[in-house]
Amino acid sequence: MQGSARRTGVMTDVHRRFLQLLMTHGVLEERDVKRMQKHCYKVHDCNATVDKLEDFINNINSVLESLYIEIKRGVTEDDGRPIYALVNLATTSVSKMATDFAENELDLFRKALELIIDSESGFASSTNILNLVDQLKGKKLKKKEAEQVLQKFVQNKWLIEKEGEFTLHGRAILEMEQYIRETYPDAVKICNICHSLLIQGQSCETCGIRMHLPCVAKYFRLNAEPRCPHCNDYWPHEIPEVFDPEKEREPGISKSNRKSLRSRRH
Amino acid sequence: MPRGHKSKLRAREKRRQAHCENQDLGATQATVAEGESPSSACHLFGDRPQNLPAAETASIPEALQGAPSTSNTTVPVSCTSSTQGASSQDEKSLYFSSVAEAWKKDPLNRKVVLLVNFLLHKYQNKEPITKGDMIKFVITKDKCHFNEILKRAAEHMELAFGVDLKEVDPIRHSYALFSKLDLTYDETTSDEENIPKTGLLMVALSVIFMNGNRAPEEAIWEVLNVMGVYPDTEHFLYGDPRKVITKDLVQLKYLECQQVPNSDPPRYEFLWGPRAHAETSKMKVLKFLANMYDTVPTAFPSCYEEALRDEEERAQARAAARAHSAAMARPRSSTTSSSFSHAK
Repeated sequence: MQGSARRTGVMTDVHRRFLQLLMTHGVLEERDVKRMQKHCYKVHDCNATVDKLEDFINNINSVLESLYIEIKRGVTEDDGRPIYALVNLATTSVSKMATDFAENELDLFRKALELIIDSESGFASSTNILNLVDQLKGKKLKKKEAEQVLQKFVQNKWLIEKEGEFTLHGRAILEMEQYIRETYPDAVKICNICHSLLIQGQSCETCGIRMHLPCVAKYFRLNAEPRCPHCNDYWPHEIPEVFDPEKEREPGISKSNRKSLRSRRH
Repeated sequence: MPRGHKSKLRAREKRRQAHCENQDLGATQATVAEGESPSSACHLFGDRPQNLPAAETASIPEALQGAPSTSNTTVPVSCTSSTQGASSQDEKSLYFSSVAEAWKKDPLNRKVVLLVNFLLHKYQNKEPITKGDMIKFVITKDKCHFNEILKRAAEHMELAFGVDLKEVDPIRHSYALFSKLDLTYDETTSDEENIPKTGLLMVALSVIFMNGNRAPEEAIWEVLNVMGVYPDTEHFLYGDPRKVITKDLVQLKYLECQQVPNSDPPRYEFLWGPRAHAETSKMKVLKFLANMYDTVPTAFPSCYEEALRDEEERAQARAAARAHSAAMARPRSSTTSSSFSHAK
């Protein structure tokens, strides 16, 4: 990898199409990314062998390096699905959001972000967020309006909502990790295994270290007696399964839609 | 989480440092360049630029614009091909890194980078771009270099992303971004938001097509009922199917609703809307239909013929458009095509 990372890459229409499509989708799961890559090859260059995805992306990233943009790979915190997003390194995405949202909306996001980071579970309840509506900068925002702004954040993949509670979308974590770690150095939680930002995860009840669910899954795989890597105490939580891309997992609604149309399709 | 990301960054940093030391450029340059990003990140978050009254931008004398045209790069170094072979690899690396360092030092380039990011964002949201917005959010105090910054940003957009920046309104200075690659509807549909509508839409389009390019609402429901989708029943995926078909898809211009001429009481039928014509094709819809019934498009001979004719017309139109745009682009392309090569 060393050689090719230093050698500057070559952009062709295959790569450009890939980039445009990735941008359009915002964030994509690895399975869809692979399919998209094959599609881009098919459109432009049928006979070329499809590069390994990692090499393909490294190639693009070496070209985008001077623009402080990169295709970043991350893993969803809840079930370890690999995701990709085009991430802007020169500015934080919150300032990218600055052109999309009004001052009071941005501040609402900041408040939600703080609650999420401070929380034990990584979730902030809708009620708690909305109660801060009076403290927002900018034009006065009513609770009803703030609720809609929160939904806008969900639609734009900055937040995820689960049963009235909000946490950060994988995309937001990918884009904003650096910003979050710099802005909240004392409050952020870090995973003991991968040392990346942790919003949702499991924690040791004895010594307090934390691990992402997918990191727990990998670390304790095939281990009948899971013990805390730090204090060696018994690990009290249920160990999740390691994400297996081979198993036909249906993320969200995209696949289940095909099912409902299927009737007679394979 | 970006696993291994930190070690990748560290490795990259080490390589860059080692490389710079070898070439006697000094490791400090690399670290300064690296160091720029985090500080600018924090700074930009808090930095909501002041509102510039539009009048100010117009008063900048033309002569000052584009003044410091640095000869360093009009093209990002990293786009240049490295086809020369391994023997001159080190020389080339030296050249690239020294140009890259110089490029990083040029203060305008920071604005170019920010502008590219801004444009990408606008492109993703399919929003028009005004000169005023670009100055307000990105260029700020460098507004006298607006043209130069814009020119360089546009080049990056074209070379790295295959996206053209065009001025669509020279009076109001508004711009738009166009993909040079013809992306299709299937490609650009974002699964999670649009697929529910897409399913219904494709069914509706196929029914309309099969029915001779116009179909009453009942015909569409006949097929949807078979799939378990009913007009007045909430569907777990589609929500309110009747609203989606008769309102949403019409509003989005995928379907058109017309009154049957001379019908009393007035009856309505659906046709393909302009957006459906633009974003999909009869052949695609026929394939979808065939798939749904576990068969092949040729099983519907008259539709298949019509779809074939439609494909031909589209191919001819595309060829004509490409010839036209190639003719338009020729004077420009000679300067940019030399700076990178296509791997074939």
